[in-house]
Amino acid sequence: MSQFTQQVILGLLLGGVYVAVALGFSLVWGILNIVNLAHGALVIVGAYITWDLFTRLHIDPFLSLPVDALALFVIGYALQRGVINRVIRAPLLFTFLLTFGINLVIVSLLLLLFTADFRSVTPSYSGSGLQLGSITIPYIRLGGLLVALLLAGVLWAILNRTRVGAAILAVGADRDAAQLVGVDLRHIYALTFAIGAAFAGVAGGIISTFQSITPTAGDPYTLQAFAVVILGGLGRVSATVAGGLAFGLIEVLGQSTPGLGSGYANAIAFVVLVMVLIVRPRGLLGRLA
Amino acid sequence: MSLLAVRDVSKRFGGVNALAAVTFNVDQGDVLGIIGPNGAGKTTLLNCISGLYRPDTGDIEWEAETISGMAPYRIARLGIGRTFQIVRPFPSMTVRENTAMGALFGRPHGRLQPGAALAEADEVLDLVGLGEKRHYPVLRLTVPDRKRLEVARALAMRPRLLLLDEVMAGLNHVEVEQALEMVRRVRESGVTIVLIEHVMKVIVGICNRALVLNFGRTLVEGPPAEVLKDRRVIEAYLGERYARSQEPPSDAPPTVEGNQHHPRVGESNEE
Amino acid sequence: MTAAERRLPSRVRRSVVAIAAVALAFVILAPLTSIDAAQQAGLPLLTDKLWFRIATTVAMFVVLASGWNIIGGLTGYASFGNVAFFGLGAYTVGVLVQNLGWPFALALVAAPGVAAVFALIIGLPLLRLRGHYFAVATLGVGVAVGEVVNNVGALGASTGLFLPIVRSDLIFFYLMLGTAVLAVLTTWIILRTRFGYGLLAIRENEEAAAVIGVNTTFYKVAAFCVAAALTGLAGGIFAQWNSFINQENVFAITDNVQMILMAVIGGAGTVLGPVAGAIALELIIQTLAGGGSGAVYSQIGLGVLLAVCIIFIPRGVIDFFGGRSRLSLRYFRQTLRETSA
Repeated sequence: MSQFTQQVILGLLLGGVYVAVALGFSLVWGILNIVNLAHGALVIVGAYITWDLFTRLHIDPFLSLPVDALALFVIGYALQRGVINRVIRAPLLFTFLLTFGINLVIVSLLLLLFTADFRSVTPSYSGSGLQLGSITIPYIRLGGLLVALLLAGVLWAILNRTRVGAAILAVGADRDAAQLVGVDLRHIYALTFAIGAAFAGVAGGIISTFQSITPTAGDPYTLQAFAVVILGGLGRVSATVAGGLAFGLIEVLGQSTPGLGSGYANAIAFVVLVMVLIVRPRGLLGRLA
Repeated sequence: MSLLAVRDVSKRFGGVNALAAVTFNVDQGDVLGIIGPNGAGKTTLLNCISGLYRPDTGDIEWEAETISGMAPYRIARLGIGRTFQIVRPFPSMTVRENTAMGALFGRPHGRLQPGAALAEADEVLDLVGLGEKRHYPVLRLTVPDRKRLEVARALAMRPRLLLLDEVMAGLNHVEVEQALEMVRRVRESGVTIVLIEHVMKVIVGICNRALVLNFGRTLVEGPPAEVLKDRRVIEAYLGERYARSQEPPSDAPPTVEGNQHHPRVGESNEE
Repeated sequence: MTAAERRLPSRVRRSVVAIAAVALAFVILAPLTSIDAAQQAGLPLLTDKLWFRIATTVAMFVVLASGWNIIGGLTGYASFGNVAFFGLGAYTVGVLVQNLGWPFALALVAAPGVAAVFALIIGLPLLRLRGHYFAVATLGVGVAVGEVVNNVGALGASTGLFLPIVRSDLIFFYLMLGTAVLAVLTTWIILRTRFGYGLLAIRENEEAAAVIGVNTTFYKVAAFCVAAALTGLAGGIFAQWNSFINQENVFAITDNVQMILMAVIGGAGTVLGPVAGAIALELIIQTLAGGGSGAVYSQIGLGVLLAVCIIFIPRGVIDFFGGRSRLSLRYFRQTLRETSA
């Protein structure tokens, strides 16, 4: 029984990571209608920044998260305003291909800068965790979950309690109407993407603490982010949180099923994805499309 | 036996009853006008008949065969054609090709080849008045012409029943006259018509029967002239207070001002 | 200013067609100079191993791009999982030839069949989805199938599958070329028949297509199966040609994006667009890859190329040949204006 509880706990902790990864992805998709295939790459950039700060300057990974956020914010803003914006009204296929191309470029640049060697971030508290009876809660993972929930709260606050957030929601609801009331469309588009990228960067920082990173390590996260958004639903922060936690549970429980192993992560994501799309297209908590 | 029998059809979307227990028949040769305020469920009704929606309850029968729940393409091939309120042409094809598509896919019997379908299209285009523009790309057409194209494509299917969804919307007076003429020609060629309209001139001008929907329910059915005078219909369009204010007072003597002209539903003061 | 839109001057078009004809003749005939009989007759050797490798790869991508074009370009359902069919075709041949001892020819007949059956099974649920959802669901298929193959011992797991080596550049080149011709021919035939019109209607306006009598489910699935069969056939040939297959080389999502890019850059929805795109792009990629620091720079090059093409030539290069636009600054500016915020 406690074995099962341990799995559930691990599932929720993993879910926290997925929440962090999916928040930015969901924001960009919901407001800009862009499925960003370069999202995973942005996550990994954040991971590398954290690794670099940890290795060179011995900065604790959790303390480097704001740096990740800032750096990715700037990169994201420039990327959207300079490149992605040019095809934002083109058919969906084109933004897909474009973001894939961007992904290719970013991953290749990372390969040039950091080579394909696996890097890890191992702070002193890496191996230890909270002991509750026979259940272990690794500190790293717990930290990740807490940061993820914090991010969700921050996003919610930005969207629902600030003027900028109102502008973002307006643009997402009706681009033309938003312009008519004076919203600077291009700036808001770039800002939204930048926020999404910043969140991706923070997620990357979290990931670097428990996973060895290599330039291509971001790709699976893109597909998983997609699955999380489909599972949870589009349109609300709470939906992404629900989707992320649920997805983490499904993955952990799925992989502990006899016959399946950790190599099936993507396959599980895909099966979940397709089943949700067929059975309940709007996801757990999403708004009716 | 009626051509089309709609019995007790209901359709919900989330919490909204788009259609509730709608029942009526359409006989061969009818021109049935469906009217009602916005949101009354008129387009939903057409979508149910043409198969894009499946009714939650009730049946729709075509020549005594149940078609509710059938795939749209099968209903089309049975002889039911329709147009859309916001036109849906195929942008990469010319007017002629668009029209030919109806002949290519919608015939009840026999499969036409592309060549034969294009030839058929020419005939239909003349009927609707687009003959000279047959080689235009769709994007070059004006709005009234696009509506004609929509009708042409449906006609190329050689339907027995044609469902027209607000074909007159957005047309000026002259264009409405022309469109009315076109609909008359279609009727004369033997096609039974069901049309949704807001332009009452059309309902009065060409329909032999009218059906009023309000909040998804059938309100009144009958000859257009009577239906438009019906108090319930006036109430649905213009509100209860107005309807009441138009009724002659029960015991009062005739008013001093003499004949007052009370506008009926759909009339404006200019007409 | 519609009057200003003209075709490329017919002089230019004629010379392009002439050049293409000569190039095609060379491609078809030159390999014959490598057979013994030709050598003994004193003919100069016009082709070497590198030439064969590149030419066969180009032909392969013509098949892949054309196959994608049928479901993505003609029908409007942009599949990001077609590479799954490639991999399935490859593994069908791999398993039949290596594990079960079948003759290659027979296995090659089975490959498209397996791919098509898989397309039928996966297509029925997935083709109900649209746009983003269909794209990523198919992406998931590509990734998931590859992952499953990577984990199953009988299929070689992560080590991969080795096939008995068959040394014949010539045979594989002509096989792949023949498949490419088949693919282009198939597209051409489709576009002249009722089936093709139905697919176009589905692409342009699926609900309108349904109400005029197009059996949209059947047509979409059929298109998907045809695309799968062609793609699977290419995969089967690749398996024996390369003599080694694993998740990385036959289930690579980058290949899927490449085939889409080729079809789109060349001109999605046309017969020759994917051909032009495949040839142009693959030659560029091969050049970038051969140029020294190898894979990484070619990736960067591909990514940048992708971005530039998407931004500036969304309708495809064929636009300039097909009569819709002139190659001019005005064209690019107009495109940008249409697609930017």
